[in-house]
Order: sequence, then structure tokens, then C-alpha cells
Amino acid sequence: MAADTEIFFEHSHLAKPLMWSTGLHLGFWGFVLLLGLVLHGNRGGGWGAGGGGDAIGVALVSSVPLPANPTQTQNVLANESKGLTLSRPELQQVEPEAIPIPGKNAKVKPKPVTSASKQKTQPQPEPETNEVPFGGGGPMSGPYGTFNAAGAKGGFGFSGGGGDFGNRYAWYVRVVQQKVAENWLKYEVDPRIQSANRVYVTFDINRAGQPTNVRVEQSSGVPSLDQSALRALQRIDTFGPLPSDYSGSKVSVEFWFDYKRGG
Amino acid sequence: MRLGKRRALQAGDATATMTDRNLAYNLYRNTIKTLADPSQPSEPPSRPKPKSRAWALVCSLAALALTLCSTVVQAQDWIRTGTGLGVEKVKLAVPDFKPSTQDPKNSELLKTFDETLFNDLDNAGIFDMVSKSFFPLEVPGNPSEVRFDAWSNPPVNASMLVFGDLGITGGNVMVHGWLFDLKNTQSPQVLGKQYTDTATTDNARIIAHRFADEIIFRLGGGINGIAESKIYFVSDRSGHKEIWVMDYDGANQHQLTHIGSISLSPRISPDGSRLAFSSVTKTNWEIRMFSTELNRMVSFPAFSGTNLSPAWSSDGTKLALSSSRAGDPNIYVCDASGSGMRRLTTGKGPDVSPTWNRKTGAQIAFVSGRTGLPQIYTMEADGTNLQRMTDQGYAVSPSWSPNGQFLTFAWFRKYGPGAPGANDIYLMDIASKQWVQLTHDGGRNDFPSWSPDGRHIVFQSSRTGSEQIWTMLADGTKVQQLTFSGRNSQPNWSWK
Repeated sequence: MAADTEIFFEHSHLAKPLMWSTGLHLGFWGFVLLLGLVLHGNRGGGWGAGGGGDAIGVALVSSVPLPANPTQTQNVLANESKGLTLSRPELQQVEPEAIPIPGKNAKVKPKPVTSASKQKTQPQPEPETNEVPFGGGGPMSGPYGTFNAAGAKGGFGFSGGGGDFGNRYAWYVRVVQQKVAENWLKYEVDPRIQSANRVYVTFDINRAGQPTNVRVEQSSGVPSLDQSALRALQRIDTFGPLPSDYSGSKVSVEFWFDYKRGG
Repeated sequence: MRLGKRRALQAGDATATMTDRNLAYNLYRNTIKTLADPSQPSEPPSRPKPKSRAWALVCSLAALALTLCSTVVQAQDWIRTGTGLGVEKVKLAVPDFKPSTQDPKNSELLKTFDETLFNDLDNAGIFDMVSKSFFPLEVPGNPSEVRFDAWSNPPVNASMLVFGDLGITGGNVMVHGWLFDLKNTQSPQVLGKQYTDTATTDNARIIAHRFADEIIFRLGGGINGIAESKIYFVSDRSGHKEIWVMDYDGANQHQLTHIGSISLSPRISPDGSRLAFSSVTKTNWEIRMFSTELNRMVSFPAFSGTNLSPAWSSDGTKLALSSSRAGDPNIYVCDASGSGMRRLTTGKGPDVSPTWNRKTGAQIAFVSGRTGLPQIYTMEADGTNLQRMTDQGYAVSPSWSPNGQFLTFAWFRKYGPGAPGANDIYLMDIASKQWVQLTHDGGRNDFPSWSPDGRHIVFQSSRTGSEQIWTMLADGTKVQQLTFSGRNSQPNWSWK
């Protein structure tokens, strides 16, 4: 009993220092927080603002005068032309339809179960893409017009007279076409002209392959364009001799030039 | 509670921006889609259009035109064609030739022949070569064995086919070669050739070169192939800088001169018989002459002063050179024998590296340092009508193209300490002065020289660390190294 009282006595004796202790602790931490708030509370606003001190001014890299590439490089990997492959459409896993359990007096007979292998594959709707499948894009990039651009207007026209030169010697026609196109310098055309009518030039190719008798058949109405077309032919020394098994002495060619600025 | 609401608001903002972004993305995608193919904006270009279909269109059109025009029968043939039809390279399939006899040496010659022929046609720059891995298993050896559909349909998709056979009988090799137009089943043969010579690998190589040149001549518009052309260059492999020669593909390299000093700037004459170059003597730089027919030095008069960079006129009768006999180095013209020296340029500053207009022979381009850094100038062959071609930088070693239309030269466009860029090869259209850069980011590139067909350029480059000879197509593609040992420089391509 006496021990109990002693304990109670001790307890009441400790209460005051404990209160002091708690109060002082609280006071200390309160002081620390207050100090922190007073001394450092306002500093956060200046983050990243720059200005003060010896900070280095940072300029944007894009303003460095790097030399521009003078030519349009046709990077195979990263250019704006279309790709040559068609990516495979993603296969969609179709969940098999749940088969209803037939009731005892069901009037509708359940459909015979078709195995997965018997099921007709539904044609996948072709995804509308920007890609061109292999072989469909023509030259990947470059100044060449697509075939159907001019083909719609008539395109290639071989006409047979005494023989059928265009059919028999399609490779020679190709050479003629390529060579004239190579030697036609579009910058000779008046730069103010945006587009013009087609100019038709006719000429003969003699057995040695030289273009002769070059003349404008139908003018485009733009003198500089007519002139550039004539010059293209005049620049050509030879298309190569006519095929040796061709019997005629010359071939006549009608060549048209479609001019479009930027095209 | 308030905090929660604010968070929700923020989340709402986030979704708003997300949808905005999606919208922008879709817009962008749509724009791309419409921009992608201006020729056919509405229809999706999803269906494959193999070449054969385009050809079918051509054929049907041709047939239509034929029936329409058959009433107007004329005495001679007409071709009607035009620009904008799409000029693509010919798709050429070149399978290995077949052995036609049982001789054991066949395989060795066939290997050389096939490799040389394929490389020549590949190097020509006018063909799109079909990879050999696409070829059908059965290759034809003569016209009756050609299966047109196997070669003209995918995966080969060729429009032209080169095939033939090779066989050794009694020490002689016999080669038959054909070129077939696969789209024309009625009369497919474009070329049929037969060659025979003693059976050596060198001859197999020469026959392959000849046959390749024939094909290139037909399909390249009457321009002779370059498979038999040579490249002259300076090499220090023997210890001194001497003049060497090699085939256009780098094969068969051997030394021509044995002078033992320093020889530079070799220039072969248009007929290939004489080689002019400049060489150090005991006192000065002189023009020397080497006969490729006699295989020895021939006489050429010595001038006083420094004489450098000879250049043949296209008719082979005149030489232009740079000489300092009257003070500053100036351009002179003399006869091929060295007589009749005539001064073309005057004034301060060095004028070097003349090159003639190879088509007309009426103009000379050269390098002049009259305004400080060297620049390219052109003038008439009599010295009048001087025009400056380059506007800035450091431009040297011009070479005039065979068709007279272009100059190629080495150019430091931004010259000076710390300037960006390097010494690269450029191509300039003379009439318009438009230029295009041909080499990029590959060490020092210098001394370009045109091939006789005007489709290739040989040049010197240090992109591998040491100076070596390289070739490329005249549009800067298909760069190939030709020399590998020693230091090789200043290449000059023969005229034919």
C-alpha cells in the first residue's frame, strides 16, 4: 500500500517537468519552423528566373548560323516521299460467337458448328494508308512525273506507218524520250511563266541516229518555251544508230513538252 | 474538398489539351495525306500497280493508236512521245552465262566474264540492276531457252535481259551474248553478238567490257560505254611520284614513267597516244611528253620558268598550259609539238589549270588568283571574254564535261580558319552558273576529271585517311574506291 502511495507521489512529482519538457520541445520546433519560414520562405520564387549573380546567359542553339544544305538531299531513310512497302495489316483475333444452348422446345435449330478452318475469312477492310506498295510508287523521289499523270492525256503514242517502229523497237523510243528529257533545261523558260500549253516539236532521226529537220509543229504560245524545246533537240548529237534490222532510212518523231513550273 | 475540385479541374484541362492535340494531329495527318500525292489526291494509293500494268496500259494505248492511225498509212515511221511520262532506269537482269563446252577452264573464265560484265553494266549508271538472288533457277544460254514470263514478272520484274554462253574449244574462247527486250515478245532481240579470242582471263575481261559497251551504246542513247577507258594518275608506290595507268574499274594498275623526280598532272591526248605531264627537272618545272604507243618519253621543248598543268584541246592539235616564263604564271597555248607559244592571259596573280571546252574547243576554263583566293574563270580560246564563275571561297582544278555543258571542280566554299565545310567536288552548269555539291563529309576531295561518257567523275579523296582515287556517277552517287596502296592522286580519265 505504501509502495502504491509512493508511486502516486512520484507520478505527481514528475508531471510538472514533463509539461516543461513538452512545452520546451514544442517551443523549440516552433522556433525552428518559424526561423526557416522567416529566413528562407521567400527564396523559392526565384528558381530558374536567372538574372542575378554570375549566371551564364544561354542562347538557343537554333540561332547558330549553320550552313544550309544547298541541295535537296534525297535521304533514303528520312525523306518525305512515300515508302515502297505496304505494311501488313494487323490480324484481328475474332472471338468465336457463343453458341446458345438449345432449349427443349426450341423451334430454331442451332446452326451447325463450323470449325475455324472452314470459316471463310472475312476480307479485312484495307486500312487507308499513305503508303505505296512495292513497285507502285515509281521512282522513290525525284523530278519525274508519274506515268498516269500524262498517260491520261494520251501518253505514249506509237503509230505505225510503213512498219511499226514503236512496237518493234520500244527500247529505242525509250532512249529518245530519255535523251530529250535529259537535255531539256527548264531554266531556259521565262521564269514568269507558271504553266503553258503543250509544245509539239517534230524531227527526223536518220540512220546514224542524228536528229534532223527539227521544227516546232505547234507552238505553246510562249516563245522561250518553244526555244528551249528546240534547243533540247539541238543539244543532242545522236540518239544512237537506228536498229540495224530496221529497213527504213529515217524515223519521224513527234515530241511534246509539258511545262509546269516546279513540276 | 476544394483541393479535390481543383485536381479535377486540372485533369479536365489535361483531357482538353489531349483532344486538342489529337485534333491537331489528325489535321496534320490529313494534310500529309493530301499533300503526299498531288497527282491523285482523292483515291487512296493502296492498290499495287506493278510495272507490268503500266506496260499493259502502254501496250493497249499503243494498240489503240495503231488501229486509229492505220488508215493514215505513211511512207515512214512515226514516234509520238513527250516529257512527263516518267523516265526510269531500265531494269536489267544479267544472269551468269552458261558454259557451252565441257572444257575444265570454262568455270574460271566464266567467273571473270560474269563479274566484269555485271560490274560494267552496274557502273554504267543507266541501269537498275536486278539482284541475282531474284533470278529463276533456270538461266537461258541461248534465245530458245528464254522464258519471258519468268523474267518479266515479279520477283525479277526485268524489262531487259542479258544472257549468253561461253565455251573454250582448242585454246580459243567463244562467247555468244544477247540482249532481249522482255516486254516485246514478238521481236525481242535488241542485240546479238559473238566474240572469239584466245582463252585467257584477260581476254575474258576484255570481251565482257566490249559486250557491256555494246549494250550501253544501244540503251544509253548512242554514247559509247567507258568499259575500255583508262585512268592515268600519280602514284608514289615506287618511291617517287610517277605516272601510272589503270583500267576504269581499278584493275590492271601499272607504272608508265620512270623519271625518278616528281611528276604531276598527267593529261592523256584525245587519241590516247600521248601523255603530257609536268615534272621537276634540275632547275624548274617542265612539261614532259610520254608516248603510250612507243612506251617511252618523247621530246618536248623546255621553256624557262615554271611550266605546269598541260591540257589537250579536243582535236589534239593544241596544248594549253600555265607558264611563268614572263613573270607571273599565265595561261599559254602552243601546238602539240610545243611550238608557237601564245600568251592568253596577262596581269598579276597566278593563272593555272587550264581546261578546254571538250565539245567545241572554243573556250578555256582556268584557275586564277588575281583577286586573292583562287577562283574559276572561263574565256574564249583566244583570251577574250573573261568571265568569273565562282563567287567565293577557294576553287581549283576545273574539268570541262564532254558535252560542254558542265564544269566540275574542287571548291572550299567557306574558306578560312574555323569555317564550316570542307574541300568538296562541285558541278556547275556553265550557262546558268547553278551549281550542286557532289561529295559530302568525306575528307579532302580534289582533282575531278570527267569520264568520256559524261556520266562519271574520277577524283582524289582522302576520306580513308590517305589520298586515293575514287569514282562516282556525275550526280554524286555510287562512290567507289579504285586504288588502295600507296598514295595516289591527280587522276585523268582518257577521252575514249
